Amino acid sequence: MSKIKTNKLSLKGLLFANPWGFIIPLLTGVAASLAGVALLGISGWFISAAGLASAVGAALVFNYLTPGAIVRGMAILRTAGRYGEQVSAHNHLLGLLRVLRLWVWDQRVAKDAANLHEQSRGDLLQRLVSDLDQIIRWPLVVFLPWVYAFFSYAAVSVLAYFILPVLLWPLAVAAVLHTVVVPYFCGYAASHAVHVGQILGVHRRSRFVSLFSALITLTIRGHWQDYALRLDQLDERQRKTEIKIQQAVSLGRLLSYAVTILLLLCSFYLVSDVQSETGHWMLVEGVQGTWFVGFVLSLLAVNELVLPLVQSFVAQGQSQVGLRRLNQLHQEVIPQPVMADKAIQSIGFKRWRGFHASSNMGNQPIDLQINSGDLIWIRGASGSGKSTLLAAIAGDCLSSGDALINGEKQDLYGNQDYQDKISYLPQSPYIFQQSIAANLRLGKPDATDEELWSVLDSVSLGDWARNLPNDLATLLSSQGRNLSGGQRKRLALARLLLRESSVLLLDEPFDGLDKATIERICESLKNDYKPEILILVSHVESSLADDSKIVEL
Amino acid sequence: MAKSKRAKKERRSAGRIKTPETQFLGELASQESAKYRLAQGFGVLFAVSLILQAWALANVFSDMALYQSFSLPLLAIGLFALLLRALSNFGRERICTSASRHIRYGLRSNLVSHLTKLGPARLRIEEDAALSTRVYEQVDALDDFFSRYKPQVFMVTLIPCVILLSVVSISWIAFFVFMMTAPLVIIFMIFVGHKAAQANRRQFSVLAMLSNQFMDLSQGLSELKRLNRTDEARARLSDSSGAYQKTTMNVLILAFLSTATLELFASLSIAMIALYLGLGLLEILPWQVGSSPVTLTQAMFLLLLAPEFYLPLRQLGNDYHAKQKAEAAATDLLEVLNTHIHELMADENEQPTQSASKTKADSGSFIYFDHLSWSEASRYRLAPISGEIAQGERVWLSGESGVGKSSLLHLLLGFEEDYQGQLFVKKQSFQNIDLAAWRSKLAWLPQTPEWVNGSICRNLLLGLESREGFQAPSEEDIQLALQKSQCDDFIQALPAGLETKLTELGSGLSGGQMQRLSIARALLSQADVWLLDEPCSGLDTDTAQAVLSTLEQVSQGKTLLIVSHDTHPIAWADKHWSLTQGGLHEQDQNKQAVA
Repeated sequence: MSKIKTNKLSLKGLLFANPWGFIIPLLTGVAASLAGVALLGISGWFISAAGLASAVGAALVFNYLTPGAIVRGMAILRTAGRYGEQVSAHNHLLGLLRVLRLWVWDQRVAKDAANLHEQSRGDLLQRLVSDLDQIIRWPLVVFLPWVYAFFSYAAVSVLAYFILPVLLWPLAVAAVLHTVVVPYFCGYAASHAVHVGQILGVHRRSRFVSLFSALITLTIRGHWQDYALRLDQLDERQRKTEIKIQQAVSLGRLLSYAVTILLLLCSFYLVSDVQSETGHWMLVEGVQGTWFVGFVLSLLAVNELVLPLVQSFVAQGQSQVGLRRLNQLHQEVIPQPVMADKAIQSIGFKRWRGFHASSNMGNQPIDLQINSGDLIWIRGASGSGKSTLLAAIAGDCLSSGDALINGEKQDLYGNQDYQDKISYLPQSPYIFQQSIAANLRLGKPDATDEELWSVLDSVSLGDWARNLPNDLATLLSSQGRNLSGGQRKRLALARLLLRESSVLLLDEPFDGLDKATIERICESLKNDYKPEILILVSHVESSLADDSKIVEL
Repeated sequence: MAKSKRAKKERRSAGRIKTPETQFLGELASQESAKYRLAQGFGVLFAVSLILQAWALANVFSDMALYQSFSLPLLAIGLFALLLRALSNFGRERICTSASRHIRYGLRSNLVSHLTKLGPARLRIEEDAALSTRVYEQVDALDDFFSRYKPQVFMVTLIPCVILLSVVSISWIAFFVFMMTAPLVIIFMIFVGHKAAQANRRQFSVLAMLSNQFMDLSQGLSELKRLNRTDEARARLSDSSGAYQKTTMNVLILAFLSTATLELFASLSIAMIALYLGLGLLEILPWQVGSSPVTLTQAMFLLLLAPEFYLPLRQLGNDYHAKQKAEAAATDLLEVLNTHIHELMADENEQPTQSASKTKADSGSFIYFDHLSWSEASRYRLAPISGEIAQGERVWLSGESGVGKSSLLHLLLGFEEDYQGQLFVKKQSFQNIDLAAWRSKLAWLPQTPEWVNGSICRNLLLGLESREGFQAPSEEDIQLALQKSQCDDFIQALPAGLETKLTELGSGLSGGQMQRLSIARALLSQADVWLLDEPCSGLDTDTAQAVLSTLEQVSQGKTLLIVSHDTHPIAWADKHWSLTQGGLHEQDQNKQAVA
């Protein structure tokens, strides 16, 4: 499993991710399939043999107990086997689902901060839901039916060998046609449509989300219809690919039937000779009619087993597309710069500039030296790159120039060791859909309730939380939407303060707050939760400013 | 009207025939009833070929067993019947999939247009990303129901009946075995299936929760990385996936048990019939020693039909989850469709009072409303308010959150039709105006501007393509608008200029810059009436002030209604309204402006 965590995904890898979990459904499934074929074959033989025995007057010496017991045994085995297969296979699949979800998570974690939002929500959701679905279907739809068909053919071959070895030839040809050629043909016919369909699906969804995000603008401009039309066109194209896939599958089933019919014809032809005088077809010498009846009946049972195979190559294509799309998320793990495990005493910057890769916007390069005990206040006009600079200092944003931590040159971007030692409050922090306590404990997992209350009080959220019905256990809704912007930010600040790291970077912490609240937070930052180094981006005057070093951008 | 509705409801609950979901699915299926009838025709052909095949092959088999020979014509008939079976299956499949496609794609375009009409109200159902799941995945989840389950229901009654009919003349015992087991199978299926259905519903909500959790953690991933808590989040995901695996397995164990009982019954009765036939042929049945109840041909015929008798039932059992899946999906889809229907019906109720009071309006103002309110589920979203806005007047609307400021804007945008009280635009009742013409005069600047994936240029010209009576803005128009909205500086600084891509999640442009772009867009649309919903709420005070002063310059001469918190006062507004649960209060704007 650890292999899967870091490597790219492959179907083979998935199959062997948990081999033991896979062997149980495989064995039970094979047993059930063979029992199903045997059930029909043996019953056919039993009845025709019984009929023959009574016709030749040997009914009294005919052993009917053993075949009877076998028939009942096969019936129970088939059912129990099928049940066991279904249950264990699905258990295996769900285990696989879990592994894959965690794999996606690991890839997301390995992605660097600046490109984290490259995937839109819709796209990620599509990958998470439908691509994963396509992939975990693979063993159940493709691999297992194929194995069952193979083993049933093998079992019928044994029977064929005892009846008349020459029967093996048409049987082998039919087996190849059924298990390889027809499914491959269908897969080939549908593969283009499968690929196009998957791409269209993604395209359609992102267009949907994109258009609906601008719904009001488009509607009041009276132009929604034109855009909706394009959505319809995409839908129409999707429909065409669907038709193609379904056509291929239906046609494949028909072909499978045709192969079975031809196989039956050949078998009959091979085991019989035409009597020239009566015009009757007689079985050749050495072929027992009763056995041959059993053989034909088991062929009909095998036919039922190979029908699902037609879908297998189509499903194979779908799984592969899903896999490829999922592998696009794959991230090579970036080697982490190593940093001495020492508290940060000083931070120095030379020609330091933070910028966004997409727009190349950022601050003018600056030189700055920060020592323990310093309070830096970064100010500047709107658009001067204050936030970008702070994000770059926090290692969240691309940067150029040199950064010196404790006098040593360091690469800050995505540096986990460094980020462990600092706390950064971005402009719009994220609040999780968890309880207030759980959100806060992300800062300090072992914090006591008292600690939580005191940190909430320090950002003036204590009274608010006490008035909530479930106080600390109150569940916060999606993206903290039941919180105002100011509350959200203060909650995130409280979470950071719990970390008690020596360096604190705050981006506009006072925005939208009243004077009393600002003063309360300043007091906390100067006393109980005082960091060694505080870097503040703010346009709001506060008592923190009194003893700060001001950097004007 | 209300009475008849209640009566209808009572009838429904008294009859307890159909849930809204099954009714919904039934209505959808009836759109394609012609195709389903054709499929039934193929089903009949299938059943006939089944009997024919069994009869022909039974003869061939018994001849082979007894005389080591067979008749070629009978073999040909048997194989031909097998081919016929395959062909009718092929036809049935093609027709049913096409019916399912028609239903689903029709439903989907209905859903999209419904959502469009709902406008901002759609967000009360769910977010856009989740709505897209309903429109695509949930609609496709109906496929199995329409393409497999629905036609299979007919086969389940047809095939056993045909087989029973052809068996009755041959063997009473076999007939009774079939007759006895078939109802048992059905009872078991219903019993276990019902349990599984309950568990299945729970299952769906757990799955939704799981996706939600992943998206939540994924969106806050940068936060988690900074806090170095990604491993804890991974553990949470792992735990909930593990819990999901457990609950799902509980569901599946039940669901598969229902199919397993079916299989067991089928298998055992096949075995019973085989044993009975074998013993009968050996003439040692305890009650009939010395004579055979059936000939070998008949025995073969029965044996060949026995599995076919149970096959459609087993398939229905396998497809039963398709029905559950479809019903769960239908619940979600109905929620979308019903949101709209509800509002239209409420609208009809309001109409008479509206037209009756129309004559009362004699105000000469541009927008005039009197006791305008909007309630939903007997709760005011907007308490009754009265007021007027003159042409060219710029109004600042403030108030606590949740008091209905946005609702008023949505009303003016024409997305909420079931308001109470009166709303007039240019002396015309809002319900009688040409909505398209009114909307074309509007510019809409919400808290988070609306962007599509595409270049800045494409977003500026969103919905402004050339059409009859409207010229698309020229290059100069765009430059002028960018200048006025003070976007030109930062756009020139972008490496790709106007061709820079914007995505749902921004592109490194700041909030203030994005708001300026949306001002430029409003300018390009040449709208007279600007509706702004807290355009500065995400911005710091400096940026907000800068954006507001730009707004002041560009909006001169326009009629403007801006919702803004007291933290971002609109000093240049002609009027300041403060909205409370008690109504609308005009504040003294001059005093504030001086101070």
